[in-house]
Amino acid sequence: MIDKIVDPEKLRHFPPGGGKIELYWLYTSGKAGNEFFRKLREGKFIAARCKKCGRRYFPPRIFCEFDFSETEFFEISGEGCVEAFTIAKLDLNENPMEEIIALIKLEGTDGRILHLIGEAKDVCIGMKVKPVLKKVDEMTGTISDIKYFKPV
Amino acid sequence: MAVGKKEISCPPSAEGTGLSDADISQKNVTYFEDHPNLAYSWTAGQAMSRFLNELKNGKLIATKCEKCRRVIFPPRIYCELCYKPIDDWVYIKDTGVVQTFSISFIDPDAKPLEKPVIVAVITIDGASPNMGIMHIIDEVEPEKVYIGMRVKAVWRPESERKGTITDIKYWKPLEG
Repeated sequence: MIDKIVDPEKLRHFPPGGGKIELYWLYTSGKAGNEFFRKLREGKFIAARCKKCGRRYFPPRIFCEFDFSETEFFEISGEGCVEAFTIAKLDLNENPMEEIIALIKLEGTDGRILHLIGEAKDVCIGMKVKPVLKKVDEMTGTISDIKYFKPV
Repeated sequence: MAVGKKEISCPPSAEGTGLSDADISQKNVTYFEDHPNLAYSWTAGQAMSRFLNELKNGKLIATKCEKCRRVIFPPRIYCELCYKPIDDWVYIKDTGVVQTFSISFIDPDAKPLEKPVIVAVITIDGASPNMGIMHIIDEVEPEKVYIGMRVKAVWRPESERKGTITDIKYWKPLEG
């Protein structure tokens, strides 16, 4: 056997002191997304209705994806019902935690939103839920402006 | 920052909404931004670590396999032909032969260089054939470099050496 380096200080690595890959991105929410988050600050929810076929989009869209027609925004309650859910027991670093992630169909629309369920002891499919929003000064214009949905 | 209208033709009905940097900085639009922390560190391993540490002493070190009798340079901890760990370390000379070379007139950003750089693969004397390191050749006209040219390492002064491959400044022709 040949002699090997056992002192980790003498083992070399690159780049010295560690390297970093620069990566930066910015994703704008678009016309409809912008309007949605603006209304959310007022505590209102909006969806979009196709002027031609009447499909109700949530999250709102500026165009109908079936007949390319324009849409109009309308207000909804924000309440919905759980269509599917899963309970996460570990976080990204595998530390124990508990979070309920649910697919929620919003009342008065054909769209669904993936979000957290809070303040709930039991979850079941078909459960009615309503949103809990952050305080206006804490809102950042992202989907986490909605804290979670809680049972009605 | 890739913000703003692109030069793409599209029907007027589908024209996008242009954004300026001010729209972002003044938060006129909602957006999500991220700057992921992608840290990395690449370890050189046993053989290359020793090789780099020896550069600080002004020496080139190779490894030897007793079975195929090859002197492996740059050093490896494992003989890839015999499929076994190497047997010994050996010091080799700092002279060699140009195995192949290329003359570069541009830098990594494709900007023209005032003085062209000669990049070569150099087989070191004492190491087995068809093995070598890539380095720079200097003190010679680019037209006068040829395959098979004998070269010698030009080392940095001992106080400036850091244990990196740039401890050898460049290689210069032995003859003439």
